[in-house]
Amino acid sequence: MNMRIAAACVLAVIIPALAYAGAAQKPVLDAYAAQAKAEQAGFAGFSVERGKAFFLAKHDASAETPSCTTCHTNDPTKPGQTRAGKDVAPMAVSKTQDRFTDAEKVEKWFTRNCQSVVGRACTAQEKGDFITFMASL
Amino acid sequence: MPPIDSTKASPQMRVWDIGVRVFHWSLLLAVSVAAMTGFFGSPDSFSIHLIAGVAIAYLLLFRVIWGFSGSTFARFRTFIFGPSVLIARAKDMLAGRHTRYLGHNPLGGLMVFALLGVLALILMTGTVVLGGTLKQGPLAFITSYATGGLVKEIHQALAIGLVGLIGLHLAGVAYETVLGKEKLMKAMITGDKPAVSDVPLPKPALARPIVALVLLAVISLSSIFVIASFAARPGLGVPVATVDPHYVKECGACHVAYHPSMGTAKLWEGILAHLDQHFGEDASLPEATRAALATYLAANSAEHFDTRIAHVLAKANPDDPLRFTATRFWTRMHHEIPESVFKSKPVGFKGACNACHSDAKAGLFAPQNIDIPEGAFK
Repeated sequence: MNMRIAAACVLAVIIPALAYAGAAQKPVLDAYAAQAKAEQAGFAGFSVERGKAFFLAKHDASAETPSCTTCHTNDPTKPGQTRAGKDVAPMAVSKTQDRFTDAEKVEKWFTRNCQSVVGRACTAQEKGDFITFMASL
Repeated sequence: MPPIDSTKASPQMRVWDIGVRVFHWSLLLAVSVAAMTGFFGSPDSFSIHLIAGVAIAYLLLFRVIWGFSGSTFARFRTFIFGPSVLIARAKDMLAGRHTRYLGHNPLGGLMVFALLGVLALILMTGTVVLGGTLKQGPLAFITSYATGGLVKEIHQALAIGLVGLIGLHLAGVAYETVLGKEKLMKAMITGDKPAVSDVPLPKPALARPIVALVLLAVISLSSIFVIASFAARPGLGVPVATVDPHYVKECGACHVAYHPSMGTAKLWEGILAHLDQHFGEDASLPEATRAALATYLAANSAEHFDTRIAHVLAKANPDDPLRFTATRFWTRMHHEIPESVFKSKPVGFKGACNACHSDAKAGLFAPQNIDIPEGAFK
């Protein structure tokens, strides 16, 4: 059998699998998991439920941005809007497939938004839960 | 010699040819539109002001040509009078004596030249203002913002002077109508006047409409070509380079990427020094990115441009020096816009310049490019 055809068949299977929600986010999630293990002894994986609760929670660090939902709305499958009027693509991975695939970008926004909304840096577990929730939608 | 009765019985004579009459009433219309939009206009009516100005320019061009090619009383030579005649005419008026001229009387003729001259000056100064302050039109490539601002004062003073001249013109018409028993208004519509004159008539001349129209076409077409080629040149101190894509990516993520010319070097420095407290949010960046943006913004700040926006926004509000919308200029320009428009869905907040200014991203802000979206008034 022609090796090229074989390679093409393999790629044809792998590429859609990578595009599947969640798979592309794996490297970023794995990195946060490793960090979470280092941060807390009893770390037992990320949770969609905790991620959802964190996303919807009201914090009192800032009157302008009390919650993630201030800009991202209660429904992560819908586009949000910054306080300065700019549209934000949906956070749900099913809607915006390249969400949480660029580690640098993910870290930049967690750094900024955790400070603005929660008033402190987020833990690796909070970040991982958040991404897991967004990947589940 | 009583001219009053003799005019009634006299045969009518064509004094104002069709060229003079159409010019007169078209000029009245164009000047009225230009004056209304100039004195009381808003950015919405600015295009109309410019169109009226261009119309006046072509009307003046026609009138100058017609002054050498029209029929007898349209020709300049029939109403240019020396100082002694002008003084004599003024003395006659003061003494209540009326000498009947078939065409323009000496003072009336002087008024025609004054009106044409002042209009020409208004057009010239207007073109300088347009070039300097808005960087539009044929003089944009050589006119600085400072020159434009200075000449704007002259343009405005001339416009007020024109209103004064029009007042005198109307007073002259009223004087002739009441004391001279002249039906001037009617004559400017029908073109005819009773063929009676107290002074010798000028040498008759035939109108040469073909010559006039050919000249008008040649001059206007060639001037359009020259004007368009001048206007196509980039304006003096106007941003031409595209905005750095890294800047747009980083700063345009949450709000419109404000054109770098909208802030002074000092303002950008202030913004970048406190990204962690950026108007109530943390917008911090990795140091390498922040430093690259600092270099770009310092090299493209307001000081490097000569646009109106660069000049007016550079005058920061000392109480809130980092916010464009706190400047006096911004407040003055937007005071008629209801607060609800800024909070509406299509706009969002006061700093969303591009919601209404379609050329905001390029740092231009032309009055012709303002369009408040429909949904903003709901």
